[in-house]
Amino acid sequence: MPPESTTLLQGTLDLLILKSLATGEMHGLGVSRRIEQITGGTFVVKPGSLFPALHRMQDEGWIASFWGDSENNRRAKYYRLTKAGRKQLDSETRRWSRISLAIARVLEAS
Amino acid sequence: MPLFTKLRSLFRNLFSRPDLESDLSEEMQSYLELLTREKLREGKSPAGARRLALLELGGVEQVKEQVRDRRLGSWLHSILSDARYALRQLRGNPGFTLVAVLTLALGIGANTAIFSVVDAVLLRRLPYHDPGRLVMVWENNSDRANPFNTVAPPNFLDWQARNSVFSNMAYLCDFRSNLTGGGDPEEIIVQAVSANFFDVLGVKPALGGGFTPENAQKGHDDVVIVSFGLWQRRFAADPNLVGKSIVLNGKPQTVVGVAPANFQWLVKDGSLTGGTPQIWTPFVFPPSYSEHKNVGRFLAVVARLKPDSALPQAESQMKSIASQLAVEYPDADSHWGVNVVPLRQQVAGHLRPALLVLLGAVVFVLLIACANLSGLLLARAASREREIAVRAAIGATPWRIARQLLVESMLLALMGGTAGVALAVWGTNALLAASPSNLLDLPSLPLNLRILSFSVLATVFAGLLFGFLPSYLSAHSHISQTLKEAGRGTSSARRSALARNSFVIAQLSLALVLLIGAGLLIRSFVRLVAVDPGFTATHLLTFKVSLPDATYATDAQRVQFFQKLLPMIAAAPGVRSVSMESFPPFTGLGAATGVHILSQPAAPLSELPVANVRVIGPDYFPAMGIPLRSGRFFSPQELSEERHVAIVNQAFVDKYLQGAEPLGQKLAVYMKSLTETENFPSQVVGVVGDVHQMGLDSSPEPTVYWPHPELVMSGMTVLIRTFGDPRAFLPVLRDELHQLDAGLPLAGVATMDQLLGKSISSSRFTMLLLGVFAAFALVLAAVGIYGLIAYSVTQRTQELGVRMAMGAQTRDVLRLVLMQGARLVLLGAALGLLAALGLSRLLTSLLFGVGALDPLTILTVPAFLALVALAACYIPARRATRVDPLVALRYE
Repeated sequence: MPPESTTLLQGTLDLLILKSLATGEMHGLGVSRRIEQITGGTFVVKPGSLFPALHRMQDEGWIASFWGDSENNRRAKYYRLTKAGRKQLDSETRRWSRISLAIARVLEAS
Repeated sequence: MPLFTKLRSLFRNLFSRPDLESDLSEEMQSYLELLTREKLREGKSPAGARRLALLELGGVEQVKEQVRDRRLGSWLHSILSDARYALRQLRGNPGFTLVAVLTLALGIGANTAIFSVVDAVLLRRLPYHDPGRLVMVWENNSDRANPFNTVAPPNFLDWQARNSVFSNMAYLCDFRSNLTGGGDPEEIIVQAVSANFFDVLGVKPALGGGFTPENAQKGHDDVVIVSFGLWQRRFAADPNLVGKSIVLNGKPQTVVGVAPANFQWLVKDGSLTGGTPQIWTPFVFPPSYSEHKNVGRFLAVVARLKPDSALPQAESQMKSIASQLAVEYPDADSHWGVNVVPLRQQVAGHLRPALLVLLGAVVFVLLIACANLSGLLLARAASREREIAVRAAIGATPWRIARQLLVESMLLALMGGTAGVALAVWGTNALLAASPSNLLDLPSLPLNLRILSFSVLATVFAGLLFGFLPSYLSAHSHISQTLKEAGRGTSSARRSALARNSFVIAQLSLALVLLIGAGLLIRSFVRLVAVDPGFTATHLLTFKVSLPDATYATDAQRVQFFQKLLPMIAAAPGVRSVSMESFPPFTGLGAATGVHILSQPAAPLSELPVANVRVIGPDYFPAMGIPLRSGRFFSPQELSEERHVAIVNQAFVDKYLQGAEPLGQKLAVYMKSLTETENFPSQVVGVVGDVHQMGLDSSPEPTVYWPHPELVMSGMTVLIRTFGDPRAFLPVLRDELHQLDAGLPLAGVATMDQLLGKSISSSRFTMLLLGVFAAFALVLAAVGIYGLIAYSVTQRTQELGVRMAMGAQTRDVLRLVLMQGARLVLLGAALGLLAALGLSRLLTSLLFGVGALDPLTILTVPAFLALVALAACYIPARRATRVDPLVALRYE
């Protein structure tokens, strides 16, 4: 089973959402599908995790929402990255690289 | 910036809930639609697509709940909703809420008020430098009861010379003086002190330089230091008062200082006037004091311990110095020892027993309040087991349930705590206002935060323990069992019942202890007030007159003054009789000395029988209502010239004349001088009844009465027996006095009733306070047992219904319920009685005429408690009998 995003990886989920919104604004389902697509099916984000994350990140001010028309001409809530969100994405990316580098080193050492 | 955004979000989350919710619903809807469309595109049927979409979503409500939980400020929001729910619960149970809040308020409020007062009185900040190093040094005599006997000046000099534990010693002695000039003549208490008095206390004057070593010499001692209060009141806070002159007793004195605002001499023992000094002046010893004669004992002595000396050291050294003096000067000092008392203890010591008893009472009340609260909360917890089980079943985490209970307990604690603080503030002020001034003479009292927080914490802790814990524990376990149950008879309910029963028993026993204590004090007070003082105290007005030496220099002048004053007053309308006396009863003042009864062998002064000496005017005994036992009163000639006669009281005869005929005995009273030759013996001409001189609770002492001409004192108290209200006579009195001598102030006016009242005021106060606490305790305990029985009745509704359906009568049900209560009352009373028997010993110092194990009290008070407790059980018992069996059987 592909590991689901849990509260343990909440920080990771934030990063994924920010990254996927960096390529363009999207509604909730779209974000979820994008993440699935980018990670090649490794991360399937259920709505039970996605929406709380989205709303919290909106509260933090990293993403902003607005109502717009979806593909089937219905109303849907769209999210976009804010300037603060872009900054957060940068710092999170750097942090992630540092961590993965450190872990890689640990694993290399015998 | 991030903080601003977050704050804005927080605000929105808390206050725009409805909009947020509808927005979220819409978002969920649209998500569902998009997902369904996705499934449709994958080739599923419309119905199938929708179903799959719903499955994948996992439940709209759950997702919404997750979102709500993660929102900023969700935590705060749910606490607030918990609080709202708790408030609704509390409002829905007004009885419970009221009792709980009252209990908390009483426990915290009463506790804090008393503790604050006790703390302030026993740990009062003394207005002296480093007061912990100050001690009072008294003489004491093995034959006399007074541990704080005033000191002889020659002994002071020897102590000063021979000790190595004190860095400095000072003496003081107070007297009444007339202050004239700059207003009406006023009587002031003056304290004559050694020039180093303020140095010993470490106090610098607020104005001026104070006393200098020069002031310790004769001729340079016409200086005074004025108290701050006097400076403000009489001298209008004149900034240039230092250097000016004031007139005391006709003699001018130069003001050299004004004492600091908070400065006061707080020791009442050893005072010769019983008043508060407002002027200090140096008292230079005449040369005769250093030659070791008997000059009388009238000084109070205060000393400062050296930094490296400790109290036990000082005590033992002073004791050995005293024994040296007793050997060197057996005439004056044999049988006399020394008593060293820390100043703080001297100031508050006589209050300690009463205050400690009250402290104990308050602790009991606090315990009872906690027990009450705990019992209440336990009962609520038990009745809510169902509700909690349901909550847990529909998905509430234990933490969530616990948090709600916690919020409820906190809310209760907050309400009770606020009420408690308010009660504490009001109670402290009420206590201060209502207390007799000789018990607590503090102007105001800040709230003692330490005690307040302790009381609050104690009750909150109790609340948490019994309000929160049981509910929380039950939320963790036996959920399915609880849900399945028809009744409430789980093991946890049994445990809680045991706890509740124990609480009620504890409450009853504590209440009983307090009630017995109060009962003992009440009986004691009744006994005290019933004591016959030995004279008629009603309709008696007293006032003091001090004749200044300047205008009344000779004995003849003084005798003449009173010979004019008394008949003048007697002639006024409304006056039944007039007389005068040197030290009237109930003022706590007196003079005593050795008496040599000539028919008995001679002995050195310190071994002679001791008697009080009183100087009286004409008609004294009839005016006071003191009966004549044998012989006669003084004749008019004996009252106008020195004729060497005396009258003694029955106590004197009983103690010193065993069997011998009192009339005709010759007594050499060592009052005028302390050598035999100058004390011309007086002949006893009469024996009168005893008077309780010092107070209703002290036995009469042997007393010798002299007519005024025998020892012409310049300060006398005039006693006026009036027909009507004595106080109505005051204006007339003022006029009469003014007519005789305009420079004499009317001072120390009091009715004998007032003086008597004052002497028993501390007993009355302690009794009232303990009575109030006992009443509190009784009410709380009654409420406690009422609550328990009432709750038990609702628990047993089914059982009682069954019994009644099977033929039980009203009285059977009543008996059943009352027996349950009676068992608790019996246990509680038995425990309480045992405790009281052990603890009542602590009250003995406060009791009069009543033993600590007084049978009447020990028997009636428990009966009274039982009656009240059973009455409290009766109400729910009656309700039990009204249960309709059919309803009860269906009741769950």
